[in-house]
Amino acid sequence: MSCMELRNVSYTYPGEKMPVINNLTLQIEKGTCLAVRGDNGSGKTTLFRLLNGLAFPDTGRYMFEGTVITEKYLKNNRASKAFHKKIGYLFQNPDVMLFNGTVYDEIAFGPRQMGLPDEETDRRTRDCLQLFGIGHLAEKAPYHLSGGQKKRVALAAVMALNPDVLILDEPMAGLDAGSRAFLHDFLSQLKKAGKTLIMATHDEQLVRDLADQVLVMEMPNMEMSDTETPETV
Amino acid sequence: MLPVWMENTDSYVPPGGGGTFAVKTIRSISAAVGKLQFQQGRESKPFLPAAARLLLLLALILLLSLSRHLLVLLACTALAMMALAALPPDRILSVWKSALAAALLAFLVLLPAMLLRPAGRGNNLIIIWKIFISVQMVSIFNHTTQWNRITSALRRLHVPGVFIFTIDISLKYIVLLGRLINDLLTSYLLRAVGKNKQKYTSVGGVMGVVFLRGTEMNRQMYEAMVCRGFTDDYEGL
Repeated sequence: MSCMELRNVSYTYPGEKMPVINNLTLQIEKGTCLAVRGDNGSGKTTLFRLLNGLAFPDTGRYMFEGTVITEKYLKNNRASKAFHKKIGYLFQNPDVMLFNGTVYDEIAFGPRQMGLPDEETDRRTRDCLQLFGIGHLAEKAPYHLSGGQKKRVALAAVMALNPDVLILDEPMAGLDAGSRAFLHDFLSQLKKAGKTLIMATHDEQLVRDLADQVLVMEMPNMEMSDTETPETV
Repeated sequence: MLPVWMENTDSYVPPGGGGTFAVKTIRSISAAVGKLQFQQGRESKPFLPAAARLLLLLALILLLSLSRHLLVLLACTALAMMALAALPPDRILSVWKSALAAALLAFLVLLPAMLLRPAGRGNNLIIIWKIFISVQMVSIFNHTTQWNRITSALRRLHVPGVFIFTIDISLKYIVLLGRLINDLLTSYLLRAVGKNKQKYTSVGGVMGVVFLRGTEMNRQMYEAMVCRGFTDDYEGL
């Protein structure tokens, strides 16, 4: 059974005539990596919104672990929370993900939500601080950090929830060489651990090393290519 | 190296209930921002230039406010109804919503006076009627005129540049900050997978970030304007 499946999905922005996503069919197996490529405005972020249950297809259907995800389904609080727990989403702009007073609280937000005991919350938070090399920022306000640091904090905050699927919107954008190498290594480890990765990226190396399939989004049509021969990407 | 818990899958069952405030707030903010954006880009075929319509609107409101003749009130009502009839149904509903809200507010304010002085009840009802028609006319103007045409009309009427500039920038930044709040709450929603005992702390955090971002955008815009020759003088606007 596929982890995620889109069948003939189309989506049009309200007030627009042309669909930004047109009749897309896609299967993502558990533990694999899908790279999404395309120009600005080709619908990458919209696709991620669909996969996160933040927008819903006009036609076609989206299935997550065998369940059809609809607006009605996600109106059920318990179902919605379980769904969001399984999918972590790193926004392109990390600024919109940081709303807590300190980096520590930002990362601990997820485990606290899950109702984990204080010791377990603290352990997870400290693990994330160490893993992402941001231990020295624990008591700082996220708002005042640099772009690269914010991205690390945002990713740490998402990973503290330990999602099964990680969706990353341009994860390498705005990062220096060191942070890019770190992220590359981290995503490789996640893939080895069996997590499903979906990412919009222009980083050729990342696509070659991690992607099992590549979705190329072009308006008005889309094409899907397999990356068993990644040099063809 | 990944921590052990990250390599495994959590067996987490979320609790039911709660968590609706973010969804409701996101919906209402999206609707408000969408409305503002939509309003900035739409315009029906105008029967008069924007400046003339603005002048006519001001004259009608002035006439409506100062006149004590029922005939004037009826004439203004007929004019407003004719203009309203030319709009599509969704806009008629929107115009009526705002006009009815204003009339209701006026009714509540005047209610004590109507109860204490029954003799003046007729006059009070006329005031409410006048408010209903005035707000309706302003709303019709707003629904049929693009914002850039309104600012251009204001300039033709020699309204000070600083006044137009302030309104224009405020409106644009309301949309930007609205989008920021929307994104922050969406990100909150995606991570709020349980019961949040500190919901108000999170809301406070969101508002704090929006305030900081608003201040920063204000500073950045001012600096960008200075770099392009702005000298705190709005003459050339």
